[in-house]
This record gives sequence, C-alpha cells and structure tokens, in this order.
Amino acid sequence: MDIVSLLKTLSETPGISGYEDQVRQVIGEVFARYADEVRTDALGNVIALKRGTGKAEPRRSIMLAGHTDEIGLIITRIEQGFLHFTEVGGFDPRVLLGQEVVVHGRRDLPGIIGSRPPHVLPPAEREKTIPLDKLFIDVGLPADEVEELVHVGDLATVRRELTQLKGDFIASKAFDDRAAVAAMAVCLEQLAGMQHAWDVYAVGTSQEEVGLRGAITSAFGLAPDLAIAIDVTFGNQPGLSAAETVEMNKGPAIVYGPNIHPALHDTLVETAKALELPYQVEPAPGRTGTDAWAIQVTRSGIPTALIGIPLRYMHTSVEMVSVKDVERVGRLLAAFIARLDAGFMDRLTWKPAISGEK
Amino acid sequence: MKELIKKLVETYGPSGNEDKIRQVIQEEIAGLADEVRTDALGNLIARKRGQNGGKRVMLAAHMDEIGVIVTHVDEKGFLRFGAVGGVWPHTLLGGRVVFANGTVGVIGTEKVEDEERNKVIPLEKLFIDVGAVDKTSVPVQIGDVAGFSRPFADMGKRLVAKAFDDRIGCAVLIQTMRDLKKTPHDVYFVFSVQEEVGLRGAMTSAYGIEPEMGLSVDVTLTGDTPEAQTMAVELGKGPAIKVKDGRMLAHPGVKRLLVETAEAIGIPYQLEVLERGTTDATAIQVSREGVPAGCVSIPCRYVHTPSEMVDYDDVTNAVKLLVAMLEKPIIL
Repeated sequence: MDIVSLLKTLSETPGISGYEDQVRQVIGEVFARYADEVRTDALGNVIALKRGTGKAEPRRSIMLAGHTDEIGLIITRIEQGFLHFTEVGGFDPRVLLGQEVVVHGRRDLPGIIGSRPPHVLPPAEREKTIPLDKLFIDVGLPADEVEELVHVGDLATVRRELTQLKGDFIASKAFDDRAAVAAMAVCLEQLAGMQHAWDVYAVGTSQEEVGLRGAITSAFGLAPDLAIAIDVTFGNQPGLSAAETVEMNKGPAIVYGPNIHPALHDTLVETAKALELPYQVEPAPGRTGTDAWAIQVTRSGIPTALIGIPLRYMHTSVEMVSVKDVERVGRLLAAFIARLDAGFMDRLTWKPAISGEK
Repeated sequence: MKELIKKLVETYGPSGNEDKIRQVIQEEIAGLADEVRTDALGNLIARKRGQNGGKRVMLAAHMDEIGVIVTHVDEKGFLRFGAVGGVWPHTLLGGRVVFANGTVGVIGTEKVEDEERNKVIPLEKLFIDVGAVDKTSVPVQIGDVAGFSRPFADMGKRLVAKAFDDRIGCAVLIQTMRDLKKTPHDVYFVFSVQEEVGLRGAMTSAYGIEPEMGLSVDVTLTGDTPEAQTMAVELGKGPAIKVKDGRMLAHPGVKRLLVETAEAIGIPYQLEVLERGTTDATAIQVSREGVPAGCVSIPCRYVHTPSEMVDYDDVTNAVKLLVAMLEKPIIL
C-alpha cells in the first residue's frame, strides 16, 4: 500500500463533522478492497466487516475506530457579500487569518479569510488573536451572487494539499484523524494475508470532533467484545514538555489509564515487543477525549484500548505525522487481532493481573 | 392558539416537577392520539398511528422550565436557593417565584457594596422572601422547587412570557396534533421532562420509542436585537430550521426535508446556526444505533429570562411546516 498517496487522498477530501459524505465514500472504497462487507449507518459511520475464521457462534468481534470527520467552518451570517462564520469542532483561530478556503455553497467556491489590516489596528488588538467573529470569508463575488450561491449553514473547509517534508514526515490538514483511517486500511491489508479467528469491524466514525457522536451509536449497534480507538496524540515540539508529548517517528503510543482496559494495554505492548516494533507508552490520567471514551461505557461496558499516532500542530492545516508511525500502527493492530483466539475473553480478567512489563 | 399558549406558559413545571404541566397538556390532547402514556421519567408520550407503513417519527418538545430550588431556610424565614437549569443571575433580583403549593416568593439581595453596584449579584447573595414572620411560618421546605412568575402578554404579532422555552414548542406540538388529520407515519408526540438539566427525558423516551427520525421543537436565539451575537435568525422571518447548535449538527437529510417542505407550502423559513445551547434532538440523535435528527426552532428573544418573546406568525408557520411534513412520505 502506498501510504503517502492514501493519506494525500484522505486528507484532501473534505469531510467536516456531520457532512462526511465525500470522505466516507473514499474510505468505503478503500476498506472494501479488504473487507467482506461495507455499510453506512444512520449517523454516517462507515463500517467495514472482515470476517474471522473462528468456529464458535456467535463469533467474537473487535471494533477498530478512527474518525472520518475533520474540523471546519460554517457560515453564520452573510453581510454585503462577506461571509461570517463559526467553527465546527475546535479550530485554532490563530491560524485562520490569511487561509485559503473552499466554500461549499450551491457549488464549491474558492475563498480567502480576511480581517482588518494591521496598520489600522489599535496597538492593544495587534498583540491579540483575532476572535472568530472578527474574521470573514471573501469569495470575490458581488453581494447578490454570493447570496444566491451561499446560504447560512453552508460549510467551508481550509484548502490544503499534502506536503512531503524531508525525512519521513508529511504535513496536511485533517491527519486528525485520517491518519488513523489509513492505519486501519494498513491493518485490513495485513489481515488479508493472516489468519484471524475474530470478526473485525473497522469503523470510520463520524462526528468525533463534536462529541464522539458516531462512536456512541456505532459501538451500540455493533456491541463488540473489544474495541481499539486510534487517534492522534501530541508529538514533541518546542514549547511542549516531554511529559505532555510522545516522540515523533518512535512508534505508536499505547495509551494507559482509566479509559483503557489494563489487560488490553498489556497485550498490545506484548504484541509490539514480539513484532520488534518500536512503541511508546502514553499515560492518560482521565478523559482521553477520543472515541475510546464513548465506546468504553457503551451498553454494559466494552474493554477498550487506545493507540495514539504522534502528530504535531494539531487542529491546524499543517498537521504533521511520520509515515512510518502510521504504518506501524496498522501492523500492530493486525498482529494484535491475529492473537485473539476463542479463549481471549476468559483471560481478560482483572485479578490476578495479566503479567506484562510497562 | 393564543389561549392554549397562555395556559401552557402560566402553568408551573420546573425540571423534575412536571406533574402540573403534564396534567394540563394531557387534558389538551385528550382524544387526539391513539395512545397516551407517561413513562418512568415522567415524559408524556402520545402516539398517532399511521396508516400506510410510513416511518416511526418522534417529535419532542420539553415541558419543563428553569427554576430555583430551596437549599436553606434561616431562622427569620428567608430562603437560600440554587438554580434548576440555566438560570441567569442578571434576571433574578426583584423577580417573583411560585412554588408548587402556590406559595409566592420575591427575590431580594444582601447589601450591595458601592464597588459591587455594576456587577451581577451572584446567586449566593440572593434570597427568597415568602413573607414569613419566622422559620416556622414558612410554607415550603428545603428541596422545594419554584418556577418564575410572570403573566403572559399578548402584543398582537409578538407574545411575551416566561417559559416560552419550551412551552411554545409544546403548543406547536399540540396544535400539530389538532391539525394533522391523516398521516402515513407512526408519530410519537413527546412532551419531555428534564431538558433544562441535561436532555434527560429525551434520552430515555427516544431509547424507548426507537424512532427512525427525530425532531425537537424548541426555541432558538436571534441576532436581531441591538448589538446581538452574529446570527442570521430574526423574529417574524419564519420558523428556523436547524443546521447546527452548540452540541448537534442536524442530519443533512432532515434539514433538506424541512427546507423542501417549507418551500413547497410557501411559508417563510430561516436556517439556524446557533453557537451555544442545544435541544432534545441532541440526545435523540445518539440514541441506540443513531437516529437522523433535526430541529424546528421558534426564534425567541431574551431566552432564559422571565420575558421571552416570540412572533406569533413564526409559531403558526411552525405548525404548518410540521403538519405538511407529516402528511407526506419521508425520504431522507
């Protein structure tokens, strides 16, 4: 699999929370190459099933979750042809001024984000981030044409093409969480050449950025025995301490904390070691803010794990990841799934602890 | 409809204490549904059976209102209180409240220092005076809940009351039940409880009903008053069809259905992008395996004050919109 070209397609395809149609289409096609079935549910989750070979009925199942939606902008008011907007999900207002956008009106329109020039700003304001309500989108058309083509509630995405940086790094928009979608594709491709007893649901979840909403409903519908969420996590960079970050290109971050079933964490670590795959352990003392948080408390509870893909500059349009890390996450997931046998759930106990080094 | 609206807004019913308002609504909808029941949380659920295998549709308007709860009674009979739902301290001083047993109280404040005069007086400094001469003559006790007291005012085109959030939604649902003569759908009209404290009634009623489409009918803010927030919704420009609010993105198909219906019957409508606050539809949307959900909003000024204002034409047009939507097949 050409991961870079997959990530390029995934990242450049629009799919703002609640409006994931286009990217869902792309993801469905990618998953369908390796899965037995692909379907879309009522909330727009794209669900691929790759059946296992286990004989026991009903067959055990594991759910993988990586979200398909990206943060974006939504038009709140149109004044004299200029578009006022707010965010869908948590866009960083510091990086919006001067961006190129695509406004998804009756047809797609190129636009730019403007504000007042620095020359006329009072000194006090010059030092500050411009709040969202002082920014606007200019599509260059006369007011009457704008009102015809764009309505309140239409969306806009930041325009960005993938940049291949030196070394193993690439940067683009929406790697949060399309990098995880790519990792799930790698996992499915790997599994095609492996034996696995359990059914595997690879779920591209919708609406994660606005409250983990797709994960809530898809986990309820699938009622899997186990789940692993894959999401991005803060990579090391100037201004952040080692305690707040994991390292780039040093492997998947296997998260540990109350959101994670300890035995699943340990099994992931054992799997990484057996593969001689570099990995990092990332503590998460409370809410992880990921799909794992919602899945864990679905129905009567689902043992859940979380794998982080190290990423710099989260929620900007230059999110940066290591291609190798993405590939490693996919391989780790596949090897983990291959380990799941008929007796795995019986060994997934709380006491005595399943041995494993941290 | 104004008589119905007046009756609904003037009835007591803070979150968790919806018995009286439920009783009033139950009387209003008598004979309009095939089944009526009250569930474990207190939601009033009226079902109108469809004839031709349409969809199972849930419409929700919450019958609870914000209020205050007594936390302490002092020796002289003054009551300290906490908020039930999103009470705005700006609106409290000098206001009146009414308890379930009819006890009226007025809200007073501790001494306000000169430097504090320009600030909002926090809840902790306020108290309720029920006119008692001492602790023993206080006719309510700790844990009792009061609603705000304010008469309904008919200004002609515009109406003012406390609790338009969301009794106006309840009125719209009741009138829709009256006007809807025939529908292919199995329609559940839910008068939900505890919306103001976390969409709790919608959560459980949606789980029980398992709708194939869910709509809330609730109020939304407007951007049409002096120096208001940036928002395109105005009073009198038609019911607002929700695109987004603080916690929900409406299902694009539901939004489209409402827009097309409004255009087909020729009523004005507005598209709503609300940055804060949410409705029962948020809970309905993530019920079980997920439900395509949206919201018909009644534009409302001064939400969560005792003087909320709506436009009567928006209200009647919302009824027309819902009736027209329910009369036709629903394709999302």
